[in-house]
Order: sequence, then C-alpha cells, then structure tokens
Amino acid sequence: MKRINARESLVMSLRSIASNKVRAFLTALGVMIGVAAVIALVALGNGAQVSVQESLQSLGSNLLIVYSGAPKGGSLVRRNTSNIEPTLTEEDLEMIRSIPLVIQATPESTATVQVKYSNLNTTATAIGTGPEYPEIRNFSPIYGSFFTQAELDTRKTVAVIGAQVYKDLFGEGVDPVGQKIRLDGINFTVIGIMEEKGDSTSDSSIFIPITAYQRYISGEKEYALVNVQAAELDSMRDLQYVIEDELLALHRLPSLDMADFYLANQLDLLSTVQGVTETFTLLLGSIAAISLVVGGIGIMNIMLVSVTERTREIGVRMALGAKGRDILGQFITEAIIISLLGGLVGIGLGVAASWAATRFGGMAAVVSVDSIFLAFGFSVITGLFFGGYPAYRASRLDPIEALRYE
Amino acid sequence: MSSMIELLKLSRHYQMGPTTVKAIDLIDLSIEEGEFVSIVGPSGSGKSTLMNIIGCLDSPSDGAYLLDGKDVSNLSKNELAETRNRSIGFVFQSFNLLPRQSARENVELPMIYAGISPKERRQRAVEMLERVGLGDRSDHVPNELSGGQRQRVAIARALAGQPRLILADEPTGALDSKTGVEIMEFFRQLNDSGVSLIMVTHDNELAAQANRVVQIKDGKVLWDGKAEEWVQ
Repeated sequence: MKRINARESLVMSLRSIASNKVRAFLTALGVMIGVAAVIALVALGNGAQVSVQESLQSLGSNLLIVYSGAPKGGSLVRRNTSNIEPTLTEEDLEMIRSIPLVIQATPESTATVQVKYSNLNTTATAIGTGPEYPEIRNFSPIYGSFFTQAELDTRKTVAVIGAQVYKDLFGEGVDPVGQKIRLDGINFTVIGIMEEKGDSTSDSSIFIPITAYQRYISGEKEYALVNVQAAELDSMRDLQYVIEDELLALHRLPSLDMADFYLANQLDLLSTVQGVTETFTLLLGSIAAISLVVGGIGIMNIMLVSVTERTREIGVRMALGAKGRDILGQFITEAIIISLLGGLVGIGLGVAASWAATRFGGMAAVVSVDSIFLAFGFSVITGLFFGGYPAYRASRLDPIEALRYE
Repeated sequence: MSSMIELLKLSRHYQMGPTTVKAIDLIDLSIEEGEFVSIVGPSGSGKSTLMNIIGCLDSPSDGAYLLDGKDVSNLSKNELAETRNRSIGFVFQSFNLLPRQSARENVELPMIYAGISPKERRQRAVEMLERVGLGDRSDHVPNELSGGQRQRVAIARALAGQPRLILADEPTGALDSKTGVEIMEFFRQLNDSGVSLIMVTHDNELAAQANRVVQIKDGKVLWDGKAEEWVQ
C-alpha cells in the first residue's frame, strides 16, 4: 500500500497557500487576533496578580495583626479600628513579644485628629505606635527619622508626618523638621516625613509615640491592634494559634467564639487575593479564547469555499490515483499551516501588545511562557478541528462528480 | 492468455426514484493489449458510464470486470484509486491540468500518488514531455500553452505512470479541427509504439480512425468490429 508522505502534503499545501496569499492572510487573521488576545489578556491578568502580590508584600514581611474586637471576618487589608473599643493591653503585648516565633511586635492605635500648622488646618489620622513600626510594616521615613525607644519611653511629643500631610501643610521644598504642628491642640515637633506609599490612608497619617498618643489623644490604656512580625512565613499559622491561646488565657475567655480580639495573617490574605486574581486571569483568558474560536470558524468557512472551488482539482487528483486520505491530508495540512502561521504572528502581536501596555499604558503585563505554548497549541488544534470537516468533505467527493463540476 | 480487459455480463443500473435506469445492460467485451479501440455512441447511450467503469472510477452493479485477469468489480475506493494510478492514464476533453502548476509538475502528479521520489519524478516528467514534443515547455503553466500543447501535456501526464492503458474521453472535443487531427496522429504514433488506447467519442469520423470500433446504444453493444468494416 503506497501512500504519499507528509512532506508531499506539506509541499502541496504550501504551494496552494502561496498561490492565494491574500486569502491565506485574511484567513489567518482571525487566529492571529485570537492568539494575540489570549496572550495579551493573560499577560494583563498575570500582571495584576503580580502587582497585587507586591503591594501585599509591601505591607510588611511575615506580618500578622492582632485586632481588638469580636471576630467578624471579611476584613482584609485595613480595618477601621476607630470606633471599636480597644481591648489589647500592655500585658498582651509583652506576652506576644516573649513568644520565640515572634521577631518583634508593636502596638498601634488610630484616631482622626485636627492638625494645625501656622494658619493651615487639615484632618489626618494620628497613629500611635512604637519605634519597630517602620521595620514591621515596611514603611519608613524618607526624610528625618522615626522616633526612638527613648522618645517613646519619655512620651516625647514628636511626629513623623505622611507624604500627603507634608504637602498639605508645608508644600514642596520646605524643611518641616523642627517645626511645631498642633494635633487636637497639643504641640508636636515634626522629626521626619514618611515615604509616599500611594494609598491615601497611609500618606495622610501622622505617626507619634503610642505613649504620647495615649496621654494626649485617646486617653485610653489599651491598643487597637498589635503588629507582629513572625520569624518565618511557614510557621505563621502555628504562631497564630499560640497567640490565640495565650490571649484567651490572659483575657480569661473560654473560647474563640467569645474572643474580644481576632487575628489576620498575610498568608490568608495572599491566598485570598491570589484566588481572586486567578479568577480574573481565567476570565480574561476565556474571553480571548472566544475570539480564537471565531478565528477557527473563519478558517472553516474559507476552507469550505476552497474545497468547493477546487472540486475539479480534487477530481483530477483522484482520477490520477489520489486516495481519500491523500486529499484529506492535503487540506488538513493546509488548514493547520494557515492557523499555525496565524498563531506565530499572533504570539508576536500579543507579546508586543503586552510590552506596549506596560511601556505606554502604565499597566503591569507579564507574558507567561505557558500562555504562549497554550496559544500555539490552540492554534494548531483550531486548524485541525475547523479544517477537519472541510477536508473530510473533500476526501469524500466522488471523482466522477468532481470531474464533471464546472 | 487472458485479455487485458474483459467485461462479462456487465451492468450498471441507477435507481432514479421508482425507475431503474440501465445505463449499461449485460455487456460482454474484451480488449487485447496493444489495441486502439474507439467506443462510439450518442450521448445517453451509456458510453460515459462504460468509460468510467473501464477507468475504475465507478464499479458495475452486476457482472465482472477483469483487468489483466484480475476482477476489479468489487474493489474498495482506495483499491480503485491504486488501480487507476497504476494501470490507467486519463486524457480528458477539457485537459484538466492544474492551472497553477507548470507542465512538468502536472506530469509529475500521478507519480506523486505512486510514491515515486521527487528526483525520479522530475526526470521522468521531463522525458515524457520530450516524448510529446514539449521538452522546451516544461516550466510553462497551462495558460501559457495552446490547446493542442495542453492536450499533449495531459497525454504526457497519462503516460507518466507507465499505465497498461490510455483512456481518452473526447480528446479532440475542445480543439480546433487542425489541432484535433494532430492529436489523433499522435495517438496513432503512440499506438504504433505499443501503447493500448481506448477513445470514447460521439464523433463517428473520429471513431473510424481507430483500429476497432465498438458502437454502444441504449446500454448495449450495437456493433463491434474492425474500423474499416464499420458502416456508420
């Protein structure tokens, strides 16, 4: 049984494509756009994932936060603690600091305050905390310095102001260090400016020693929350259980259901956000995949026209000894080559579009090798699937009828 | 020794709604190697159906067709394709060359399906074109050739697979009379060099130029004998 080899099919198909370049290009265009869309949109999805992860990481490394208040769930990055009765004590803080899995811990309480400088007036969030804060929350002064343990111990009325507060009160180019601002009527000396974080809450904050905060701003002895830096990401869950148990004991509570505190850790946060962005990427990819299917239908359409147009050629080939499978092979190869060419150009376009989105659109787009292989494979399968039916029709033609076709 | 072609009580019926059309009805016919036979008859006589069956494009409904002693009446589609490729060379009225391929590539076509290597194909195609007097036209596409030249390319293509038999269907039908005469002369030469030929035509004068005439009417053989004895 003789049969023509793949090379012959390939040569025949290339010849037929070359003889009608415009049509081949238009046919491939659908696949091209489909593949480019899959790659670019998946890249955007990946980019969103990476940038969200980065911003989560920027909250601080191995961060675990103990909040005051009953566990309600649902709260993620930052919980509004201003209207919750603080329940965490200095004793709680010392206990947390004594756990070996903890590198450091620092309290935090916040309140909205009136800020005055000369004749300017604004509102800001006063954050009372400890000197460990910059390290734990990965958020440091860009100018001047943060307050020290000594300043905390002596309840110094010093303040490190957020970037937005600095702009509102002083304006660019003015050195605020040493200037006095009034928080709810109390004089504080500015000793530094925090780096710009990009979110309005952080940039509109004023950091003061927790001792001074308690004395002059809130008048309360308890903390709204405690920031904890865990030794490692892997043991974070264990650390959470230890802190929960110890706090229940200290607060003389029977179970977590009755707790007046709750914990949130970065790991949970990360996995939640990851889930969301993965769904996002999948959604974008699926939308793009639809255009790939549309491209495939385009191939089918043109191949059907091509089979009809070339009925006579098929008849001649059959009369000269071509078997059904030879004809099938020729047309399928043609469809695959067209969609493959479309796929290759589409990959180029997709990568270029992703690059352009990053470069000019300010969007984070990360092209994954997976999506390239996926799109490439998809375009071959598209050719095979949508070229298959027209090729099958061609192979089933009756040579007598086909020869008679005008 | 058996004949090259032997048709035994061969019939081809088509079902057209409730009626059965007997395109060929119980034909017995044998053709020897080296003959030049014309099959003649008006349209609707069944000669095209007969040619399709002899050319292995169609299978009979009943009876047997022995090609070189081998019954080919019940072959599968693929086996028929192989038989066509190996044993039969077609020459069509409208040439049926592939328009975008050169003369040489057209001649190579049957050899592709015979699985002959590109190098040998090329060489044989050029030889065939030289044989039909078109050695200098091998790179021309059909559009650049005259009708007679195109038909000669088609004859070269039919010869390329070294078939047992050339089957020509109205080979001069699309040509002017002068070129038609040339093609007929060429067929005579081919036959003199030992090639077996069957020509199907509705033109009695043309049919008379073969050595033997088989006249078909209503699916049956009306007359079969030497061309010079045939009374039109």
